Amino acid sequence: MDESTSVTAPPDRVGRSERSARMAELLDAARGGSEDALGQITAELSPVLWHVARAAGLGADDAEDVVQTAWERLLSHLADIRVPQALVSWLVVTTKHEAWRLRSSGRRQRPADQEWLTAIPDEAAGAEEQIVLDEQQRALWRAVGRLSAQCQELLRIVAFIPRPDYQSVSAALGMPVGSIGPTRGRCLEKVRVLLADELDGRRA
Amino acid sequence: MKSPDDAPGQQLDDLDFEILDGIRALFERVDPMPADLPERVRFSLAMRGLEREVARLVTEEDPRLVGARGTEQSRTVTFDSASLSIVIRIEENKNGSVRIDGWLAPPQPRGIEMQTTAETLSARSDEQGRFAFAEVPQGTARLVVVGSGARDRADGGPSVVTPALVL
Repeated sequence: MDESTSVTAPPDRVGRSERSARMAELLDAARGGSEDALGQITAELSPVLWHVARAAGLGADDAEDVVQTAWERLLSHLADIRVPQALVSWLVVTTKHEAWRLRSSGRRQRPADQEWLTAIPDEAAGAEEQIVLDEQQRALWRAVGRLSAQCQELLRIVAFIPRPDYQSVSAALGMPVGSIGPTRGRCLEKVRVLLADELDGRRA
Repeated sequence: MKSPDDAPGQQLDDLDFEILDGIRALFERVDPMPADLPERVRFSLAMRGLEREVARLVTEEDPRLVGARGTEQSRTVTFDSASLSIVIRIEENKNGSVRIDGWLAPPQPRGIEMQTTAETLSARSDEQGRFAFAEVPQGTARLVVVGSGARDRADGGPSVVTPALVL
């Protein structure tokens, strides 16, 4: 079952501490009023927030609004945020909260949940615009699709969080460390089982 | 090790990281962030301005301390910053929340935010500088007069943030 351990290219573990150091510098500069530093931070962390908002079931326009709002709110909190880990958790929690607020405001009737799940053309690729996935990726996609909605949301968020920040983000989201932090939680365990199953099924 | 319930407590291993990387790669392809979103965020932040002033508490008048006037449970708090003075009156509602009426001097229309621990409420001051929040949950909160990009106009200015208030 060697294949199951090579789902994608090996993760890039290089330069993580440099990244933390760079983010800490940018954060200091942004607190000191550097719009350029803040711009670099938004470039770095907006993708995480996009996926947090989409994972919460927002449509694309709403997700963009919510990401904007989270950054705008950050401006008046910047002075309180000292370390990059706190920055990521603050932004993730604020985005999640804003997404929830937008959804529960009743203005958005059409649930966008799972819209992305159907975005993958199954086997019938062909048109060049379509997303071409290899066998491993399809297996992983199907495995993710079999998870509970809650696990899908959680893993999608976790997958985009810089690794040194897992712990603080999990604490901030109020989730038991086991389900997002440095220890493997139920959702990850489940996706491993499903992935192995998908890979077996293909071969059978 | 077969049942998922046995597993919590194990450290993440290489396979976990590869799965997470795989999930990230999938979502990056299937549902990517619009490429121009960070630029638009940057633009809107630049409009709001990074500058902010911290307002100072100037006076706090509490009828419970200076002698009750009837049954009204209200207090008035004044803050000063370089560009603005903010006066707010805090009154208790019947349902336990509080009502806040505020005035900006010099008077000007600005975005006003009441940041509570639970949520952020938004309002706008009118031309006379008045604003109100009908129901704010009790607890700790602070007021932000949102920065306005129009610095060259009389009613523009940086964000002004008050210290935390206990409502």
